Amino acid sequence: MSIGLSAPWALILGITALIPLLKRGQAAISYPSISMLPSDPLSTMLDRLLRSSAAAAALSLSLGIAGPYLHEQWVERVGTGAHIVLLLDRSSSMNENFSGSYMGGRAQETKGAIARKLLAEFVARREHDLFAMIDFSAAPIYVMPFTQDRPAILAAIEATSGRGHGVTNIAPGLAMALDFYSGKPFTGSRIVLLVSDGAARIEEETRDQLRQWFQETQATLYWIYLRNPRSGRLSEKPVNPGESTTPEYFLHQYFQNLGVPYRAFEAENPEALQRAILEVEQLENLPLHYLEKLPRRDISGYCYAAALAFLALLLSAKALEVKSWPV
Amino acid sequence: MIPEFHYHVNWRSPGVHPGHHRSARQGGGYEFAGHTLLTSNPDPRNLDIRATLHDPFEQLMVRTFRQRSAIPVYVVADLSASMGFRGTRSKTELLAEFTASVAYTAYRTGDFFGFIGCDSTILQDMLLPLRWHKGAAPELLENLKNLRPRGRSSDGLNEVVPYLGKRKALVFLVSDFHLTLDRLDTLLKALVRHDVVPVVLWNSAEFDRLPSWGLVNFEDPETGARRRLLMRPALREKISASFEKRREELGQICALHGREPFFLIDRFDPDELTRYFYRT
Repeated sequence: MSIGLSAPWALILGITALIPLLKRGQAAISYPSISMLPSDPLSTMLDRLLRSSAAAAALSLSLGIAGPYLHEQWVERVGTGAHIVLLLDRSSSMNENFSGSYMGGRAQETKGAIARKLLAEFVARREHDLFAMIDFSAAPIYVMPFTQDRPAILAAIEATSGRGHGVTNIAPGLAMALDFYSGKPFTGSRIVLLVSDGAARIEEETRDQLRQWFQETQATLYWIYLRNPRSGRLSEKPVNPGESTTPEYFLHQYFQNLGVPYRAFEAENPEALQRAILEVEQLENLPLHYLEKLPRRDISGYCYAAALAFLALLLSAKALEVKSWPV
Repeated sequence: MIPEFHYHVNWRSPGVHPGHHRSARQGGGYEFAGHTLLTSNPDPRNLDIRATLHDPFEQLMVRTFRQRSAIPVYVVADLSASMGFRGTRSKTELLAEFTASVAYTAYRTGDFFGFIGCDSTILQDMLLPLRWHKGAAPELLENLKNLRPRGRSSDGLNEVVPYLGKRKALVFLVSDFHLTLDRLDTLLKALVRHDVVPVVLWNSAEFDRLPSWGLVNFEDPETGARRRLLMRPALREKISASFEKRREELGQICALHGREPFFLIDRFDPDELTRYFYRT
C-alpha cells in the first residue's frame, strides 16, 4: 500500500501548522495579576489540545490540498463468480424426448423443455455468476449479453420454449460465445456451457480458428450431450467412424485437443441431465483465486474529514471564548 | 466635590511649619512640654508662679509648650502597565480620584502634598514636588485620568526614597501590589523612615467578578506572559481563594512594617479611610 501525492507543493502550506504552536488565536485580555492565578491542569491541557488541534487542522488541510491517493494495486480475490455462456441447442431434435420420439413444440418432457427447466434452476442457484445466452440451430441467435439480471436471463431461457427447427450447427454458436469474452477483463472463470443433442462436422479452417479463440479467451468448455439411446457414446469409438455418421465422437475428440479445460457429460435421461448440471455446478463452485486491479484511490477526503473534526473542536472553543468581562 | 477624609499620625512631626499634627517642636501650642528659665524663653505670658516658687534658686520659670506642625504627605503611585487594567473601573481613574482626595485633604489639614509616579523609573513629568497646594494641580489629575500606563515593571518604586526628603512623611503607597513578597519587603524596608500607608488598588473584576464559564486568554501587560484558562465555577473559587490568601500575606507583611494595608477596591470611600486611620 503506497501513497502518492498529486500536488506535493501544497505540503508547503503545512508550515502554517507552526502558527498555532507559536501564538494563541484568541485575543488576549489584559490581566494584571497572572502570577496570582492558581495553576490549573485542566486549562493547561485544554490549551495544549486546542493548539495542537489547530496545528493538526492546518496539517490535514494542507495534506488534503496535496491530494494523497493510494496507488493502483493488485488485490488477490477469492470468489465463485463465473462468466457463463449458455449455448443452447434449438434444433428440431430438441423437441424429441430422450427416447427419440417427436413430442411437438409445447410438450413438457422434450429434451429442450427439461434442459430449460434444469438450466433455469441452475441459473437461479448461481447467484454470483454472470450469464449470457445464445441459441443456435443452423445459425446462432444472439439472445442476451453478460448480465446479472436474473429475471432477464430466466426469461431468455423461457423464451426458447418455442418449437425448435433446423439442424445442429455448433461452430458459429461457439464462435459467438467466445466473442462475448473478447475485450472483457479476466475476473472469473469463463465457462461455455454447451447443451446440445448432437453435433455436426466442423470445417478444418473453422476448427483452427475456434481453437485459437478458445486459447485466447481461456474459456472452459462443458458439453452436456443429450444422448439419444441410439446414438453412440462419446468415449467409445464407434464401429464405423465417420464425420458425417458419428460427428459427436469426432467433436469430442476435437474438444479434447482444444488446449483448454473441457469436460463432456452425457445425459440420456432427465435424471442424468440433472446430474450433469449438478456436476458442472460443483466443479465451478471451486473457490476461484484471481487478481483484481484496484484503481488509484483518492484519500484526501479523510484528510478533510480530520480537518473538519479539528476545526469543529476549534469552533466550539471559539464559541466558548470570553471577549470581555464583567458584562 | 472632592471627597475628604481625616487622617491622623501617632508620631511627632519634626516640622517647623505650624500645622495640625503633634510636633516635637516647642512653640505656640496647648500641649505642655515643661518648664524653663524666663531667660532662655523670654515670654512673660507663660510665667508659672508655682514653678517659680518651687525653684530652690528662686529664678523665674516659664511654661513651654509644643506646637502643632504640618507634615509632608506624599502619594507614591505605581504607574506600571498593570495599573492600566480596566475592570469594572479604570484603575488610573480610581487612582486620580484617590490622589485628588488626598491632595485636597492635605490642603484642608494644612499639610504639604507631593506626588511621585513611577513605572520602571520615576516619571518626571508626573512628578509634583512637595508644596502647600490648594488641591493638587488639576493638570496632574487630568494626566492621571488619561494615562495609559505602559511601564514594563514597577522598579521605579525602589528609587523613590531620595524624592521623599529627610523629614518623616505620611506616604500613601498606591499600587496593585502584584509584586513578590521579597520585593515588597525590600521596598517597605527602604521606606522605613516614613509612615507608609499601603493602598492596595484592586478591581473586583480581577478576582471576584470573573466570568463563570468560558475560555479566557489572559495576558500580563508587563511581562507579556499569557495563560489560557477554562473558566468554571471551581476555578473561580480557586482564584478568589488565591486573592484572599494574597490579602492575608499583604496584611501580615505590611503590618510588620508599621501599618496594615488599605484596600481600595472598585470605589474610594473616604469615610472608610478615616476609619482606617482612627482604627490604628
